[in-house]
Amino acid sequence: MRYYETLYIVNPNLENEALDITMGEIGTELEKTKSKLINHRVWGKKRLAYQIENQKYGSFILLQFEGGEQDQMNEFNTWMKLNNSILRHMTVTLDDKPEVYEEKVKEEPVEKEVSEGTVKETPESDLANETTSDETETQPDVTEEESTEEAETTEDVSDESSEADTEEKEAE
Amino acid sequence: MAFQSRNKFCYFKENGITDIDYKDVRLLRRFVNDQGKIMPRRITGSSAKMHRKLVRAIKRSRSIALMPYVDLGSE
Repeated sequence: MRYYETLYIVNPNLENEALDITMGEIGTELEKTKSKLINHRVWGKKRLAYQIENQKYGSFILLQFEGGEQDQMNEFNTWMKLNNSILRHMTVTLDDKPEVYEEKVKEEPVEKEVSEGTVKETPESDLANETTSDETETQPDVTEEESTEEAETTEDVSDESSEADTEEKEAE
Repeated sequence: MAFQSRNKFCYFKENGITDIDYKDVRLLRRFVNDQGKIMPRRITGSSAKMHRKLVRAIKRSRSIALMPYVDLGSE
């Protein structure tokens, strides 16, 4: 049988979970054609050379498989066209059997970064808590003082006014 | 002042490339001018066989939006 390669562009705004779901849907749809899936991986988010459906970016996904029944392959093609989350797709015949792609994952640095992040976060959160607690303690004092001061000033004013009244009366 | 002849050579033959992948945009960019037009064989110097493969690859990558049909430059 022939080997095929389908490259399709998915809406870049889809989150990782939604992307996995759509990839799963496409995988199940391809299985209906009785073709063997070899590779199905995300190639990456890239800038499109021209806008498609007002999108400037798109996440490219590469799908390599061994061809199944021809009639159902045509149905798969129309299904891909009608799928709204796929911006564009293109199927190409391959000359040779594609190699199975294996991701080279370096797990160690990722773990280190995560551990450092957690260590850094804890003191910051403590500091943040302290500052907030200080603020909550100081704030009520300020309000009380201000209120007392305001009360005193009002009293002073009233005293002055009363004194002034008495002075006027004496003059009379 | 005589005209000096440039050494024209097939890029693919020199580098031992037999198949051109439409996903290899960095390679295809060399054979396209600023407007995004495919450069003629008389300028690039590539062999007829490889030029046919090159044209097919460029047209494929255009249709999947990896390369522009028309590059206006300003965006």
